[in-house]
Amino acid sequence: METFVSRRTLLQALGATLGTGALLAAGGALGMMPATAHASAIDTARLGRSKKRIAILGGGISGLTAAYELLRAGHEVTILEASHRAGGRVFTVRHGDLIDEIGNRQYCEFDDEPHMYFNAGAARIPSTHRNVLHYCQELGVELEIFINENKQAWVQDDAMLGGKPVRNGEYTTNLRGHMAELFAKFLKPEELDQPFTESELETLVAVIRNFGDLDEDMLYKGSVRAGYASGGFLKHGTHHPAIALKEILSTPVAPVALEANEGETGPILMQPVGGMDRIIHGFLDKVGNRVLYRAQVQAITLRDDGVTVQFEQGGTSRVLDVDYVFNCIPSHLLTGLQNNFPAEYVHALKHIRRGEAFKGAFQAKTRFWEKEDIYGGISWVNAPIRQIWYPPHGIHKARGVILGAYDFAHGIDFTDMSQAQRIEAMLAQGEKVHPNYRQQVEKGVTIAWHRMNHMLGCAARWTDSYRALNEEEERMMATLISPANGRHYLIGDQVALHVAWQESAILSAHRALDDFAARLGEAA
Amino acid sequence: MNLKAMRFSLAAILALGLCRAAVAAPPAESREAYDDFYCTTCHGADGRGNYGVQAPKLAGMEPWYLQRQLEKFRAGLRGTTLDDPAGLEMRAMAEKLSDASIAKLVDWVGQWPDVATAHTVEGDAAAGKALFTSCAACHGAQGQGNQQLGAPALAGQSDWYLLTQLQNFSHGYRGADPKDSEGQAMRAAVAVLPDEQAMRNVVSYINQFQRSAPVAARTTNTKE
Repeated sequence: METFVSRRTLLQALGATLGTGALLAAGGALGMMPATAHASAIDTARLGRSKKRIAILGGGISGLTAAYELLRAGHEVTILEASHRAGGRVFTVRHGDLIDEIGNRQYCEFDDEPHMYFNAGAARIPSTHRNVLHYCQELGVELEIFINENKQAWVQDDAMLGGKPVRNGEYTTNLRGHMAELFAKFLKPEELDQPFTESELETLVAVIRNFGDLDEDMLYKGSVRAGYASGGFLKHGTHHPAIALKEILSTPVAPVALEANEGETGPILMQPVGGMDRIIHGFLDKVGNRVLYRAQVQAITLRDDGVTVQFEQGGTSRVLDVDYVFNCIPSHLLTGLQNNFPAEYVHALKHIRRGEAFKGAFQAKTRFWEKEDIYGGISWVNAPIRQIWYPPHGIHKARGVILGAYDFAHGIDFTDMSQAQRIEAMLAQGEKVHPNYRQQVEKGVTIAWHRMNHMLGCAARWTDSYRALNEEEERMMATLISPANGRHYLIGDQVALHVAWQESAILSAHRALDDFAARLGEAA
Repeated sequence: MNLKAMRFSLAAILALGLCRAAVAAPPAESREAYDDFYCTTCHGADGRGNYGVQAPKLAGMEPWYLQRQLEKFRAGLRGTTLDDPAGLEMRAMAEKLSDASIAKLVDWVGQWPDVATAHTVEGDAAAGKALFTSCAACHGAQGQGNQQLGAPALAGQSDWYLLTQLQNFSHGYRGADPKDSEGQAMRAAVAVLPDEQAMRNVVSYINQFQRSAPVAARTTNTKE
C-alpha cells in the first residue's frame, strides 16, 4: 500500500538529498583529479638523470604511459604483456579480432570497414581529461566529437506507458515540467532562507517557468521541447499531450535522466577517429618494439638493488633482472603470483576487489536508428541491457555497429549465459525499443570484463559504493602507492579512486614517474 | 594485418616441441590463435592458488580428482548457482573442454611444483582434531586422500578454499545433484560441522598436516 508524504516531508527529503549531493561534490569525489589540474608535465631530463633497466608489467594504458615516458628519457624498457594484445580495457573490437573471454571465446565477424568497430572498454574522453588529450595530440591520434545524450534517443520501461518507448526529449521535458510546477507551488517567500527582493523573486519565478516551460498560470501542460506530435514545418506543430507525473516516476530512469548530460559525461566528449585503441597504437608506434606478448609474469622478487621478474612465454620460463618495476597487473591477479612483497602490501592487494561489467554489440544491416531521427547518443532501457548506444561516426553509411548492452554495475545477469543466450537476451530487450531490431542486427559480440583472460575484472572496487575510504583503507592505499622496497611501483586506475577512466590510469603512472625521478635525484 | 600474422607464426614456432599442446587451428585468415591452457590466469603462477579471484591451488592436486572435477563442472554438477560465483566461472570454462583437452590440462597441472600455502583461516585446531575423526575415515588420518574412496587430499590445499567448500556443501551449493555421488556423500558428511566456527576449527587442524610431495597415486586415467 502506498503512503503519501506531506509537503513538509517532501521538502525535508529534498533538502537532505541535495545537501548530501553537495557534500559529496565538495568532498572531492574525483579524488586525484582536481578541476584545476593541467596536463601534468613530465620533465624528461629529470626523469633520465641516470639510466636504469626497467620492466613494465602489463601493457594497459598506465603501463604504456610509463613505458613511453621512460623510454624517451633514455631508460632500458621491457614491457611484459600476458595477452595477445596491448591496451587492457582500452579495447576496440573489429573484423577478425579475438575476444578472449574465458569460457566464451569469440572472433568478431563484423564487416571489414574502418567505421565498423566497437569500443568494448573505454569509449569516451571528456574534454577535462587533459592528460589523455595531451597524449592524443602528442601521438597524432585524431579526435572527433562523441555524442552521449541525444534527445531523440529512447527511454523504455515495461512499467511506464505500457512499455511504449518515449523519446528522451519528451521524457525529460515532462520531468522538468512537473518539477517546475512543484517548485512554483511550493515557492513562498516566507519559506526561503534569505529574504528576496521583489525583482529577485520575479527572476526566480521566470527561471522556474522556463526550466519547465510552464504556462502563464505556472502549470505544465506539455511543451514543444518534447517534440511535435504532428506538423512543425509547413504548418504549426502540435504538442504531445503532457505525460502524467505518475507515469514519469514509474521508471528508475527518472533520477538519472537529467544527469546523463552533466558533469563528466556532459559535453564535450570525444573519441578517436577509428576506435579508442588508436591511442594504444599511438603508444605502440613509440614503444611497440619493447613489448613481449603472451608473456605471463610468474614471480616478482624484490631485491635490495632491484627486482627479479620471472615470466613464461611460449612454454619457456625466463628471467628478467631490472632496477625498477612499473606494474599495472590487476591486484587480484598479483595475489596469485609468487612474490616477496611485504605482508601489508599483500594485505592491501587482497582488499581491492575486482569490478564486473558487461558490454555487447551488433552489426546493423542498416542504420535504422537514423530513420528514427537518431544520430549518436544513448537510449535508456529498464532491463539488464540498460543502454543502447548509437555510433556518432559513419553517419549515412550503409551499416553501423550498435552497442546493444552496457551493464556497468555488475553484468551478472549476462555472465552466466551462453553466447547464444546473451544474444537472445540483447535482442529480446532491444526490440522493445526498436520494433524491427531482431531483423536489423546480426553478428553479435559480447564481453564480460570480469571473465576476460589475463584481466578477470573491470575497474577495481575499493569500496562497495563511492564513499570515501575509511582510515584502514587510506593506509592500504598509501601502502600500495608507495613503491615496494623503493623498487616496485603499482600503477593503473586500481590505485586511483576515480576508476574506469584512462585519465586516472595515466595520472597514476605520472605519480609513480615523479617519485621515481625524485629517487634518481637522491641517488645522484 | 602483418603484425598479427607475425605474432601468430611466432606463437606457432614457440609451441613446437613444448609441453603444451599445439594451438587450436585458427580459421583460414591469420587470426589470433588460442588454446585451452587458461588455468594460470585464475589459479595463479604454476597453479599455486589465488585468493584474489577465489581460485584454489591446483599444484599437487591428484590427477584423478582434477579430472573428475573438470568433468563434473562440464556436466553441470558443480558451479550452478549465483551463490557460488567462483564455481560459475569454472563451469563456464569447463563446459568448453573436450576429453582430450581435459587430459592435456591434467598433464600440464601435474608438472607444477607443489608449494606451501599460507595459513589464513583462524580456528581452534584442538577442537578441530575431534571433528576431523569422521573426515579421516575417507580423507585419511593425515588428510592425505584416498583414491579408492574418491576422497582427495586436504593437506596442503588453500585453507580459505577448504572453508568455502565446506560452506558450499553445507548450503547445498555443491553436492546437491543426485548424479554427483561423491558430492552427495560429502554433503551428508558436513552435517557433523554445525556452524562456521566448527568448519574453521577443522580447517585449522588440517593446516597442521604437511602434504607429502609428491601426492600419492599420481596416475591419470587419460582417455586416448
